[in-house]
Amino acid sequence: MRGLLLLAMLTLPVWGQYTLYTCMMTSKDYVVGAKLPPSGIFLKSATGEWRHAGYNHPFVNALDYDPSDPGTLYVAAGNGLIRARERGERWKILTGSEVTELLDVSVDRHDPGTIYFSHTVGIRVSRDRGATWQDAGAGLHRKYTPAIRVDSRKSGFLVAGNEEGVFRSEDGGKSWRPAGAAGFQVLHIEQSPHDACYWMAATQGGGLFVSTDCGVTFESGGNLGVGRNISDIAFDPTSANRIAVAGWGVGVAISEDLGKTWQLRNGGLPAPAVWSVAFDPARAGRVYAGVHEEALYVSQDVGKTWTRDGLEGSRVFRMKFVPERP
Amino acid sequence: MCLLACPPLHAQAPAFKERVQFAMDAYAHPKTAVPLGYLNIAAKLKLHEDAALCSRRLEELLAAGPTGDMFWMFPITAVAYLDQGQLSDSARQSLRRSFKTYMPYRGDTENHWLLYYTSLYLMAQLWPDQDGDQWYTGKSSAENMREAAGWIESWVKLTTTRGQGEYDSPHYMGLFFLSMSYLAEWAKDPAMKQRATMMLDYLIADYAAENLDGIFVGAHSRVYDRPAVEKWFNVSSDFGWVLFGLGRPMEPPGSYLICYLLASGYEPPEILKRIATDRERPYTHYELKRTRNRWRFFDELHGPVYKTTYVRREYAVGSDQGGTLQPIQEHSWDVTWSVPDPRGVHNTLFTVHPSSSLRELQTYFTFPPDQGLTDVVSSKKSYDSPDKLVGGSPYEQIFQDQDSVIVLYDIPAETRFPHINGFFSKDLADVREDPSGWIFARGGEAYIACRPLQPYTWRPIEGGGRRLFSPYLKNGMVVQVAARSEYEDMDAFRRAILALTLEVKLTPTPSVRFRSLRGKMLAFTYGEIPRVNGAALDYAHWPLFGGPFVEAAVDSEQLILKFGTMRRTLDFRRLTVSDAR
Repeated sequence: MRGLLLLAMLTLPVWGQYTLYTCMMTSKDYVVGAKLPPSGIFLKSATGEWRHAGYNHPFVNALDYDPSDPGTLYVAAGNGLIRARERGERWKILTGSEVTELLDVSVDRHDPGTIYFSHTVGIRVSRDRGATWQDAGAGLHRKYTPAIRVDSRKSGFLVAGNEEGVFRSEDGGKSWRPAGAAGFQVLHIEQSPHDACYWMAATQGGGLFVSTDCGVTFESGGNLGVGRNISDIAFDPTSANRIAVAGWGVGVAISEDLGKTWQLRNGGLPAPAVWSVAFDPARAGRVYAGVHEEALYVSQDVGKTWTRDGLEGSRVFRMKFVPERP
Repeated sequence: MCLLACPPLHAQAPAFKERVQFAMDAYAHPKTAVPLGYLNIAAKLKLHEDAALCSRRLEELLAAGPTGDMFWMFPITAVAYLDQGQLSDSARQSLRRSFKTYMPYRGDTENHWLLYYTSLYLMAQLWPDQDGDQWYTGKSSAENMREAAGWIESWVKLTTTRGQGEYDSPHYMGLFFLSMSYLAEWAKDPAMKQRATMMLDYLIADYAAENLDGIFVGAHSRVYDRPAVEKWFNVSSDFGWVLFGLGRPMEPPGSYLICYLLASGYEPPEILKRIATDRERPYTHYELKRTRNRWRFFDELHGPVYKTTYVRREYAVGSDQGGTLQPIQEHSWDVTWSVPDPRGVHNTLFTVHPSSSLRELQTYFTFPPDQGLTDVVSSKKSYDSPDKLVGGSPYEQIFQDQDSVIVLYDIPAETRFPHINGFFSKDLADVREDPSGWIFARGGEAYIACRPLQPYTWRPIEGGGRRLFSPYLKNGMVVQVAARSEYEDMDAFRRAILALTLEVKLTPTPSVRFRSLRGKMLAFTYGEIPRVNGAALDYAHWPLFGGPFVEAAVDSEQLILKFGTMRRTLDFRRLTVSDAR
């Protein structure tokens, strides 16, 4: 019994004020036409076990939450923008046939009724919690947009990444101007929670691009990932200068100096093919990595060592720690 | 007068009703002892047979969990509509519950969306006035129906103004047919019903004008590997047989046909039967279609697809303009010849550049960069094979005039597979590699002359036939076909071909001038607009449909069917059908 208690304690990686949600698909050994293994949103329960929330869905790319009601998630999915209430359990598709295969979603922290998502032909915004939607990508030349973030400093300030680079809007998406990474497909964008003027963008083939001027301009962040593809970026909420990136060939790379230098942290990972990475805001040094069709891995020492942590055979496209309370 | 002059429809084929019954029997009374599937249940319900067994089995299937997304939706919709009080309450409730507990993925192609929205529309119609808690969408019946109707109407409008994006697929055509058959039979809204019935005429006409003995000829948006060479082995054979008594159906008939028959089982009007079966006079048929949605790398979501198809009793020659118009399964040109029994016969000839690239996949799909190719190859095995015979290439350009084709390739050196493949069937007869550089052959009653523009070698093909392999970057093929009846023998055909003007230049870009057997001077330089007797092809005015049988202008939302003095006009703006003679 003591052993079981000890085991239970060891598998309590998330407690307290955050819940870890993943957007994933169980794809190993899956073939088109076969029954889809459990896929969609998985969250880590208080006992450390994974729980499938809501419907089985093969195409769940990203999620964000309502800061005034963190039990309400907004999910960028194949079937549209999905509102998933009750910790991901109760779904409603908020969009119609005008959009497909959503790629990213971002909720305005200052105005939780304002939701942006990016998709195959641009960006759309709702200012009434998803009741109605308007185009917010008309000013973009090319529309396919894998990444969208609302600037945490101010409503209506946006940074988006599409096949032509990084773009910035200061009017809620009415107009856009280039901000960097020209000619590279942007795969992901994140803003530092410690310094809202520090941004990072990941690209297909071009490595990382960094902004230190509040997202106005992005400059090359060095050689990491150049010639490869970086799929995710995570700022450590517990350490101001620590950043992790994930990618193919790169695996997991950690920087302790705001991206000036990087160390590959793949010892113990089965392959350097990593879709996503996330730091636990409640436990310093704990980081998760979604390894392609292997499992989710967890490290308690910033990636120096890794252990398998469930979601076997999955592709975890994105992870998000969501606070328990507003 | 015309009717007297027209040939009779295939005398050997049983009547339409008997053909329908044959196909229905295959599903209602399966010969194998495997447990019933959804469509077996639907067929039995259609015939009002074995209701208790159907109920029991339906509950078993649903308890095991739905699977297949929109490919689950359309069979279950047929079951729901054919129930008509036959199923047990328990089975009916299980069926209803499944639309609350299972969320089908809407998919990423035109056929996926049409299946999804057709099914959602009909199920919302069947269960009206229910709130969002009863549906996987979280939307009420009215909201689901409005969304589905809106998309279906937009699809009809786009198709009747700019053409289909997933056009002329000898496989996926069945899904478009069955969707319209469902709505034509089961939609209660008179406008939706009428629109769907008219679209059946529209889609059937699209196929009828480009079929030879039931085989779908011409360029295709999507075709699988085996059916690309064994042309009969396609869904089109099922529809050709049931709708027109042409050719032979699959054995057993495929599920798409059954769904079509379970719903409206629409029998085409006489004019469509005539268009499908009259091959007395050779004709050239033109169509404008769309590329699939191009998410990346293009300013316009859709590009134009210019199709030309020459059809006569003995053979057909069809093409598009080349390029990567569709991902993975594009089939851009071929010669198809008529055979008495096409089963197992490879009655076709064509060339391809076996292109494979992440850029192609990222143009049309949302794949992240590193896994896209592997994901595609997991289901489309040949995509990344140098030996493949299916797929478009950005380095292929095609020009067709009647039964002459000029195909040019200008392949960059760094391309993944820097060669071209030519499919030369095991069923070609009298193949002769002439010292002139021409290859002569006979396919059925068609004489075929091919002139590779560069040296080549032969490689065997699994399943029979030979692959022409030519590892030259600036490359091409000139093809001229004629009916055997036009010449005394192959030697006479050969002499006629050798007498034609042929000027070839390969650098700096491939270029051909060729006097066709039909007496036209064809000039084509890679990257330039082809010319016929000095006049450039008028791509700007390419018709949505053009030819002796089917006519439609771009943006017209109209289609005119023509045969002899018979006319049928479909007007989608007014939702009217007018017949004249």
